[in-house]
Amino acid sequence: MSCVLVVTPLVIGSWPAISAAVTAAIATMGYSLAKAAGQRHGVDQHGKAKAEITVEDSEILEDGAGTGQEIVVEKDGIRATFSRDARGALRVCMEGEGHSKAELKKIGEELIGRVTQQYVYHKVVTELKERRMAIVGEEVGEDRTIKIHVRNW
Amino acid sequence: MAEELQIEIAPDGKVTVRTKGIKGPACMDLADIFVQLLGTEDVRTKTSEYYESQTAAKRSVQQKQQRS
Repeated sequence: MSCVLVVTPLVIGSWPAISAAVTAAIATMGYSLAKAAGQRHGVDQHGKAKAEITVEDSEILEDGAGTGQEIVVEKDGIRATFSRDARGALRVCMEGEGHSKAELKKIGEELIGRVTQQYVYHKVVTELKERRMAIVGEEVGEDRTIKIHVRNW
Repeated sequence: MAEELQIEIAPDGKVTVRTKGIKGPACMDLADIFVQLLGTEDVRTKTSEYYESQTAAKRSVQQKQQRS
């Protein structure tokens, strides 16, 4: 080994790029798309616990298409709504019956992690291809870590 | 030696890049590219191979100077 680098990613991109990461992430976690790229309705689900999470290390670029839209995904009675908040950050609103706010927050943070993972994966692979670096292997570990092996460019 | 990269993307999005066979400063240049691309650098560690290649390069220069 020559060096080891650890990086905490920033999620900065257009709404279509974030949407693509959300779609890729939910596919690996058993969520289904309830509503894609729809206009915001702001419907309050009365009686359901709710947890809102803002992804601090994120920015959804304002000049991109679809910034006023949201993506709604569902799994086992839990609904997650992804949108852009007033400051331009990615916000996720978690709702679900039979779950505490803390449980919903934990589930939401896991979901955000996986969206970030997919966003980073796409960014890394695109960069490697642009630099003509050959990906010789890819695997997903039991802990869901994505491993990419690059050799001889 | 083959130049290799092992990139791991954790389920929370954190990225670990390990290089192999990339000599000296070229390794740091590559690390800079990943930091610029992805976000905030948490840790950067030079491994023994980094210093070995640096030492080997110095030795080679010294030998050349002695010959001339």
